[in-house]
Amino acid sequence: MQKFNSIYNDVKTLLKPRLALQFLAMMSFSFALPIDVASSEISLITHQDKQPSTVESKDSNELLIKWLDSEFQPSTLSIPQQLEELSWFQNKSQPFKGMTIRVVSERINTHQYEANILAKAFYEITGIHVIHELTNEDDVIKKFSAQIMTGQRLYDAYISDSDLIGSHFRQQHVISITDLINNQAKAYTLPSLDLNDFVGLAFTTGPDGKIYQLPDQQFANLYWYRSDWFAKPEYQKLFEAKYGYPLGVPQNWQAYEDIAEFFTADINEIDGIKIYGHMDYAKSDPSLGWRISDAWLSMAGVGDKGLPNGLPVDEWGIRVEDCHPVGASVERGGALNSPAAIYAIEKYKEWLVKYAPPEAQQLTFSESGDWAAKGNIAQQIFWYTAFVPDFTKQGLAVMNQDGTPKWRVAPSPIGKYWQKGMKSGYQDTGAWTFLSHTPESHQIAAWLYAQFVVSKTVSLKKTLVGSTPIRQSDIDSDYMTERAPYLGGLVEFYRSHARNIWTPTGTNVPDYQGMAGYWWQAISLIIEGKLSVPEGLNTLAEQIDNHLLELQEQNLTCGPKVNKKVNPSVWLNKPGAPKAMMPNEVKGKTLPFEEAINAW
Amino acid sequence: MLGNKQVYSWFCGCFIIMNVFLSQMVFASEITVYTYQHVPFAEQTDTTHQGLIIDIIDEMFSRAEIEYKVVFNPLKRGLTMTKRSHNVCVLPIVRTQQKESDYRWVGPVLISRYGLFSSKSQAIPLVTLQDAKPLSIGTYLGSGISEYLTSFRYQVQVTNDDALNIKKLERNRIDLWAAELISAQALMRQSKIQLGEPELIFHTSLRAMACNETLDKDKHDALVNALNTMYQDGFMAKLNREYGVLL
Repeated sequence: MQKFNSIYNDVKTLLKPRLALQFLAMMSFSFALPIDVASSEISLITHQDKQPSTVESKDSNELLIKWLDSEFQPSTLSIPQQLEELSWFQNKSQPFKGMTIRVVSERINTHQYEANILAKAFYEITGIHVIHELTNEDDVIKKFSAQIMTGQRLYDAYISDSDLIGSHFRQQHVISITDLINNQAKAYTLPSLDLNDFVGLAFTTGPDGKIYQLPDQQFANLYWYRSDWFAKPEYQKLFEAKYGYPLGVPQNWQAYEDIAEFFTADINEIDGIKIYGHMDYAKSDPSLGWRISDAWLSMAGVGDKGLPNGLPVDEWGIRVEDCHPVGASVERGGALNSPAAIYAIEKYKEWLVKYAPPEAQQLTFSESGDWAAKGNIAQQIFWYTAFVPDFTKQGLAVMNQDGTPKWRVAPSPIGKYWQKGMKSGYQDTGAWTFLSHTPESHQIAAWLYAQFVVSKTVSLKKTLVGSTPIRQSDIDSDYMTERAPYLGGLVEFYRSHARNIWTPTGTNVPDYQGMAGYWWQAISLIIEGKLSVPEGLNTLAEQIDNHLLELQEQNLTCGPKVNKKVNPSVWLNKPGAPKAMMPNEVKGKTLPFEEAINAW
Repeated sequence: MLGNKQVYSWFCGCFIIMNVFLSQMVFASEITVYTYQHVPFAEQTDTTHQGLIIDIIDEMFSRAEIEYKVVFNPLKRGLTMTKRSHNVCVLPIVRTQQKESDYRWVGPVLISRYGLFSSKSQAIPLVTLQDAKPLSIGTYLGSGISEYLTSFRYQVQVTNDDALNIKKLERNRIDLWAAELISAQALMRQSKIQLGEPELIFHTSLRAMACNETLDKDKHDALVNALNTMYQDGFMAKLNREYGVLL
């Protein structure tokens, strides 16, 4: 802190002459404004929102220092570098001062921090008022679709999952970041934005090589387990005696199942409390669809080899030929109702019923989120790292007195159809998305806010608040090394090669918004016992095929060209996906935590 | 072989049976649409139903060629009836992820913005919604915005009649009133109290028609297609302009 105070005083002195220069620069810049931007500013003054009193009277130098001191530490930038970034935002936003822009995102910790703290900082620094709304993930997608359908400007920007990349590059409603930077926002692009520093950029890039979305937050689905229970000598001895291999991080689904059985049935209670060897969720709700479409099939080994999503068949079981989706059912060359997919869903249902708490069947994604933090779950195969902040609060049953967690995360185990070279899990990049019909001035003002909340001045602190890293420089920082023991393996995962094998939904899906709803409705029928697993997957594959056929009628870039139906054996006898039935089970395999991380 | 008289009687019999059958089909296929008093979107007087929602329903069902009747009910009752009964829908309902699997949806029929109003004697400048955290906020029972604010643990006080919130504001019983912007203007006009512009316009919601989950797929598709064409051919834009709904 002493070091910071000394730098603080130096910078305050340095900044006074610099601010005078900035003022001159600002004045000359306002005269040089292009006519369209200047005129758009005039119309914005009439906006219906009341503007809270601005901070013009405050000394802007003190204002920047205040935010640096109170909020934006630590950072990978030095204080002068941070000041340079903030001054850039202050200068470049002048033509848009007084505007109100609207953005929407899902309601995880990272976005709450943006909506409550960063939007306020941005307003005080730039004078651009940001209404950053938070809502559920399905609602973000519905609003995005509604804006396209109605043509009404609901929001100036969306923070939306990169799962929609297959839709964005085909449907062309979204203006690419590549085009934005090279054209209208060229003069408003932060010199230190450093695109190559974003670890999720591959997920937001279309097959045409354009970046469609700018990553804002990123989280993975990993294996979560009670490392304190796993380390108990009596449990290790009992487990090895029964299964013939050590109790450790499961490397395949058989080991996961054995451990689930061991804790649910054999251990059963710890300190008089009933415990479970598995946790999941299954209520009929849109989030049930993501539970499965977020790479569950790829973990089982349904798709083909090839990163990031498997080619020609991806993790949704959709086959693509020369960028054109050709079918999801086995009859058309897909794998959505293949033996591997049936195996995947049967295991999901079997584990839910046999090893999870009975309540799990009536929980949604968000309701199930904090369940394992209560302290009676031994492991969870599919756990969102966005929950790290909620699982590291002092006083929880899963926390030690010294602030370290009693749990770890590690790469999830894989199903028996999985082969080396395939993707292995899910990683989501919530990313800034701009619709092409948004007026240019609003696009640019929102682009400034987007860059602010991912800037190096802000990103490390945001990563610590939300545990959703987006920058390599943050992941590599000394501060993250110091924090690693308190984050349960999150830092180790992001520093390993595994990070590249955990990917979002890929480019094979041509209309994510239109097709995502089929998943939860079909899986719900299976869970409720109204359809068997094969019947449910046949229904789902047929619905996806029919949707592809409908899209085929539209004039989409790389649009579907659906294959004719043939006997399933034609495709099952060919190499790759869809794969023929594999009757034999594999033996369970586990590794210690360090080896499990390094295995990738 | 039948004689002329017998043939005539046979045709008459068939005609009557067919008529009864067809009228029953029409009756069975009629959809009851619940809405609620929600000025200026839906208003019921002694003799008429009027408002933007009434106009949307009429156009949508006409284009879909489906018989319907509109019934006014309180919002909560409309939602309950729709969950319980076949061939029943209710609108306008805020469409959210939590409600998605409970109904079959046709929407959006209305896009609404919500603001926080303070009393005319007191300004409460707000930069973010978080600034309203320590304040008490009045809303309307069963409304989507009430559920939204409650989910973020704001201090929400609900009333059965949204207009009461204006009086509560004036008597300092609440600090802020969270209301849909156009409806708020209408309620202010009715109560002859002008609160001015909202302190913060903080939320946008999609409002849709929620139908019983057993609604026939063909009817559902017809209604969805009808609404789509209403957006595509400019009908919705024109109607929204007429009612002053501009984003």
